[in-house]
Amino acid sequence: MTEKQKHIRNFSIIAHIDHGKSTLADRILEKTRTVATRDMEEQLLDNMDLERERGITIKARAIRLSYTAKNGEEYIYNLIDTPGHVDFGYEVSRSLKACEGALLVVDATQGVEAQTLANAYLAIDNDLEILPVINKIDLASADIEGARREIEDIIGIPADECPAVSAKNGLNIEDVLEKITTDIPAPEGDTDAPLKALIFDSYYDAYLGVVVYIRIFDGRVRAGDKIRLMSTGAEFEVFEVGTMEPFGLSRCDALSAGEVGYITASIKTVGDTKVGDTITLASRPADDALPGFREVHPMVYSGIYPADGARYGDLREALEKLQLNDASLVFEPETSIALGFGFRCGFLGLLHMEIIEERLEREFNLDLITTAPSVIYKVELRNGETVMIDNPSKFPTADEIATAYEPIMKATIITPTDYIGGIMDLCQERRGVFIDMKYIDTERAEIHYELPLNEIIYDFFDALKSRTKGYASLDYELKGYKASKLVKLDFMLNGEVVDALSFIVFEERAYGRARKIAEKLKENIPRQLFEIPIQATIGSKIIARETVKAMRKDVLAKCYGGDITRKKKLLEKQKEGKKKMRKLGSVEVTPEAFMAVLRLDDEN
Amino acid sequence: MMKTDPIGLYVHIPFCVKKCAYCDFCSYPYEDISWREDYIRRICCEISAYEGKKIKVNSIFFGGGTPSLLTEAEFRYIVCAIKKSFIISDDVEFTIEANPKTLTEKNLTSYIDCGVNRISIGLQSIHENELKSLGRIHNFSDFVDLYNLARSLGIDNINVDLMYGIPEQTKESFAETLNSLIELAPEHISVYGLMLEEGTPLYKNRDTITLPTEDEECDMYYLASQKLSLAGYSHYEISNYAMGGYECRHNLKYWKCEEYIGVGVSAHSCFDGVRFANPDGISEYLDVNCKKYITEDTDSTDKAYEYVMLCLRLAEGLSLSDYLSRFGVDFLTGRESMIERLCALGYLCVQGDRLFLTDRGFYVSNAILCELI
Repeated sequence: MTEKQKHIRNFSIIAHIDHGKSTLADRILEKTRTVATRDMEEQLLDNMDLERERGITIKARAIRLSYTAKNGEEYIYNLIDTPGHVDFGYEVSRSLKACEGALLVVDATQGVEAQTLANAYLAIDNDLEILPVINKIDLASADIEGARREIEDIIGIPADECPAVSAKNGLNIEDVLEKITTDIPAPEGDTDAPLKALIFDSYYDAYLGVVVYIRIFDGRVRAGDKIRLMSTGAEFEVFEVGTMEPFGLSRCDALSAGEVGYITASIKTVGDTKVGDTITLASRPADDALPGFREVHPMVYSGIYPADGARYGDLREALEKLQLNDASLVFEPETSIALGFGFRCGFLGLLHMEIIEERLEREFNLDLITTAPSVIYKVELRNGETVMIDNPSKFPTADEIATAYEPIMKATIITPTDYIGGIMDLCQERRGVFIDMKYIDTERAEIHYELPLNEIIYDFFDALKSRTKGYASLDYELKGYKASKLVKLDFMLNGEVVDALSFIVFEERAYGRARKIAEKLKENIPRQLFEIPIQATIGSKIIARETVKAMRKDVLAKCYGGDITRKKKLLEKQKEGKKKMRKLGSVEVTPEAFMAVLRLDDEN
Repeated sequence: MMKTDPIGLYVHIPFCVKKCAYCDFCSYPYEDISWREDYIRRICCEISAYEGKKIKVNSIFFGGGTPSLLTEAEFRYIVCAIKKSFIISDDVEFTIEANPKTLTEKNLTSYIDCGVNRISIGLQSIHENELKSLGRIHNFSDFVDLYNLARSLGIDNINVDLMYGIPEQTKESFAETLNSLIELAPEHISVYGLMLEEGTPLYKNRDTITLPTEDEECDMYYLASQKLSLAGYSHYEISNYAMGGYECRHNLKYWKCEEYIGVGVSAHSCFDGVRFANPDGISEYLDVNCKKYITEDTDSTDKAYEYVMLCLRLAEGLSLSDYLSRFGVDFLTGRESMIERLCALGYLCVQGDRLFLTDRGFYVSNAILCELI
């Protein structure tokens, strides 16, 4: 190990949502004087508006800090911030792979929660040294000893000497900084061996092109080198190497074993630089890649359409721009009879979907219509073929299907014991299969269920929160596919199927959902010049029915006095409103009404 | 439009005893105002500006506000200015709006003396509670007194305004109002739905009042149509009914895209092919430098749009040949399937040269217009 290596510490911060991860990162930046207090913007690492608002980290980031320890020596700290949500589990695991240690932040008022546990296990799986940090000790309800006990009992790591801090008030942050030096190992690796660098993130910069964040395990890389991506064999010339300083990228001559930094090269799209891939030199390649690379696949699909059909081109551009920085977002053009031209988009999960939708609306000023999220079903056909279905409109008919399968998740729920009954009822309703339950202590339990993803995306998280007053936490991962009785539910307005409303549902659940949505359609479709029958069907069988009566009144009764212009304006406004309507067959519906129908705000 | 066609003249009188709870017209309580004299002079000034242009007028309409608050002298003063500036047809329709509580025999006699031959009385309802909720100052017997007075003074063309959709009103109470009025047999009846206009007291209190439901309101609309038709009135415009030959000439000018000049604050005009208006604020209007402003875009699609919107308010509807000669295109072309659909649904009729809304079509006319134009 070189002298340089001995003075590097690579670590990340992991936590359950809202336990103070980003605030702790801010304080570390501040205390290492990397950022003057006056320049501090709250939560420097979360520099997307959306991240700050939601208090979550969406993109992985890294930052290089320098710290003078009590022994008088100067250390380089590479803080790698990981996304904080189950949707981004794989990215989290790659970020962790780039580190030797992790600060595990635990809220002293909440204790260990589902994601604390999930993240801790992930860190342990990656052989990381875990350094627990108990946070929020400034709050009156803080229970430091309780948190310590939980860390030891539940996670099984010693916590008697772990720092107890208030990231908010900057209390005891020095303890954390010192512990990083003493407890987290320096990075190993052979500077003279063939290059092995792990890609843990990449993004597109308008000036630099694709910027790739890497951790060097062996060897050395410098500008002008010809690199090779080991998963694809693609080769690129390196333009620039450097480190991530708090206020931007800083070029350097070379990056060597143990270091964290960036490279830019003749890479066109972030899709070429897959997170988890290994970079080596074309002239002297490594024998094998770093372990653990896999392609990430979307789990949830939804149709996204511009509310104003004329903005299809804008939507495509916006999606392309987002994809520049988010290779896990996939999309392809799709046409709906009801909604016109749009895109079928694949996401890592529901949160990922929400984030993309919100960014499209906010950053690109688009009004969207999105169809109900769908999971990917696997269908074995009678002709022996197997197809993967990400769009309800492509679901085969009942007589074509031999067996249909749906994705099943392994879900971990941590909850105060008071709510166990309610959670079990909920999971039961959602076709959950109980696996086991462990009492964490007298007050909390960890429950494991197998749940269809189809049920989880149907408002499961909100239902869980409402039944547990927000105390329960959820984490899940794909377990596999399971045969299931699935049917496609269609809705007809005035005798015509509205493709955008179709969805796939567990057969027994079909009647309840059909009734509910038919009612919502009735509530939300404005009365028109004719009566509109609403029918829900499975195949040719009608299973629910409602009627929207014909409009009776829509008139400017008072049209006297000579002010014709005002009347005309009123009518023009009405006509303008009509333009925004989407034609579902012969029926006109506002985009808002369409979205209201799909809003999953009911438990059933 | 031919210059020789006689036009309409509207005179706006923007004061009342008290403003009604639903009113969003330009009007002020007369006791509060200090500019009454200035206003009358300003109107006359406006009228005089047309002097010498030889404009023929065959309808004069004093609206408000409450024009029946004008004194004998004020009224005579304005009418003098009118007669000096315009050529008044012998068969002129000369209407004054009247509030049952304000019009005295003396004043009415002098109005008639000046040429008034039609009065329009705002009754709204025969029921005390309904009148009260609207903030009206009169009751049914005040109305009957004025009605009989007008008749005794020889007025043979009376309009009565009724309203439905009033707080606390029911189908039954509205039927009683209609029945009482049919008995009196005025020549013309206007039946307007109450609209809650922003900024009015009624709008402000909308959460504390009980309005008829939309369905009840629809029922009332159809009830009026049915009862008045049976009583011999023709439903010649969405909200207007008349005995044969007593259709309001003045209002027909609005609906037939004919020319009219409006004088007074906030008054609108359509003259020399242009729509324009006076300012809405009284102080701006009284300012000697006050400018009229143009209220529309003047391209031809806009005109066609307006023409259809207005014509279809009338039972006689649109003349297809007139449309063709005005705009150089056939109205039906490109709209065939939509018109066929609307006809099949019972909202629209095409008979010979005429395209018109049915009684059912009247009440959803906005939705139909949105389809047609």
